[in-house]
Amino acid sequence: MLLSLKDVVFSYGGSAAGPLVLERLDLSVEKGDFILIRGASGSGKSTILRLICRLQTPTAGTILFRGEPVVTIKPSLLRSLICYVPQVPVMVDGSVADNLLLPFSFESNRSRQKPSILQLQSMLERFYLGDIPPENSAQKLSVGQKQRLALMRALLHGPELLLLDEPTSALDRESADMVFSIIERLNTEEGKTIVLVTHSDYSPQVPRTKRYQLLNRRLEPA
Amino acid sequence: MNEIVVISLPQLLFALLFIVIAQWTSLAWHLGLNRDITVGTLRTVSQLFLMGYVLTFIFKAESLPLTIGIFLVMVVSAVFIVKGWVKEKEVAYLAPTFLTMLCCYFVTALFVSRAVVGVTPWWEPRYFIPTAGMVIGNSMSALAISIERLFTQMRQQREVIEMKLSLGADYREASGEFFRSAVKAGMIPSINAMMGVGLVFIPGMMSGQILAGTDPLVAIRYQIVVMFMLVGSTAVSSIIVMLIVRRRCFGSGEELLLTPR
Repeated sequence: MLLSLKDVVFSYGGSAAGPLVLERLDLSVEKGDFILIRGASGSGKSTILRLICRLQTPTAGTILFRGEPVVTIKPSLLRSLICYVPQVPVMVDGSVADNLLLPFSFESNRSRQKPSILQLQSMLERFYLGDIPPENSAQKLSVGQKQRLALMRALLHGPELLLLDEPTSALDRESADMVFSIIERLNTEEGKTIVLVTHSDYSPQVPRTKRYQLLNRRLEPA
Repeated sequence: MNEIVVISLPQLLFALLFIVIAQWTSLAWHLGLNRDITVGTLRTVSQLFLMGYVLTFIFKAESLPLTIGIFLVMVVSAVFIVKGWVKEKEVAYLAPTFLTMLCCYFVTALFVSRAVVGVTPWWEPRYFIPTAGMVIGNSMSALAISIERLFTQMRQQREVIEMKLSLGADYREASGEFFRSAVKAGMIPSINAMMGVGLVFIPGMMSGQILAGTDPLVAIRYQIVVMFMLVGSTAVSSIIVMLIVRRRCFGSGEELLLTPR
């Protein structure tokens, strides 16, 4: 088991007295799974992902990664293994290459092999960004291009689990299709484990998809 | 030549003319500052007179507990002034700020009065209290600027910090640029003061000594010590307080605790 959530509760304010967002949530993720969680806007889908990578703390319950409670893993190491990609792609000032290589400037990723510019260029092509020179400013890209770049950046340092938060919510149909096809390829061709949350009717065309619905603060198989 | 000219009460009242000019300016240009100027004037006069009497009493008493007591009151007051400037509810920053200020300022005042000026006893109130006062006053502003800047920037750049955390950064790496810019913002006034001193302005302490009849060459030595002391104590106290406050902005999972306003 790569990841498991057991009886996870989350309420605002950190105590059971605060407004309840998630109630006794259970989820099991095996290596290579494609987990799709659907739910209405504001239902707490993003919170699930943020709890997994410890950007927020559950009020109660246990989250295990490779059988180990996430609270016992050094946070920076945990987040280099479980990478969360937020709904709105965020770039730092600098070039496309600066942004892609950003994770390698962090201590937890320093021992990992940094890709060369040639490798970056070939990867940019796979992400439908082949026409963008790596030295171009990242801030000048469109939202759709930034979204693909954020996805690519999340993969370069080799995390075991990708947490994708509404990856196409701000994109037009064409860009959204591109992003979904990349995500599906990552799962089918590279065996990446993916947990994706969305409010759209997207239905992945991959064999290891497990669908869930977040309804009334609980996860139900869909 | 070296006799001190004592300002009489009528002369002091005559100086109120400057306040009258300030009030008139506020009225003429509808600045809405008349109330503040009045309160400020009353506080300046009452606080300074009170301080004058207290200092006279303390200098005569030559008591260690009294000197330390006054020092504590000064630090606590400074912490409350910082609290007034920094409106932050999510991060408990006051206790570490108070403890750091207390330790840093005590060590600085002790070092200056004992090692640099060489007075005995080390707590000689005539040296210890003014020295501590200058350190606290200067460093308090630097701390308030730095802490406020850190909270504001980290809140505004929350998405950038969380993006870096998500890619494997620890809390220091994720907040490094905001930490450095906040510490710098607090330090710049002290460094600028070193650049301009003697050219653009004559510092208050030196002016006071010269007006009171001290040889300018003696006064500058004190002023040089004071300038160095202010920069050093501001740098050390800012770094310590900011390191602690920054850590407190993150939880045990190194998650950012500052929520959007």
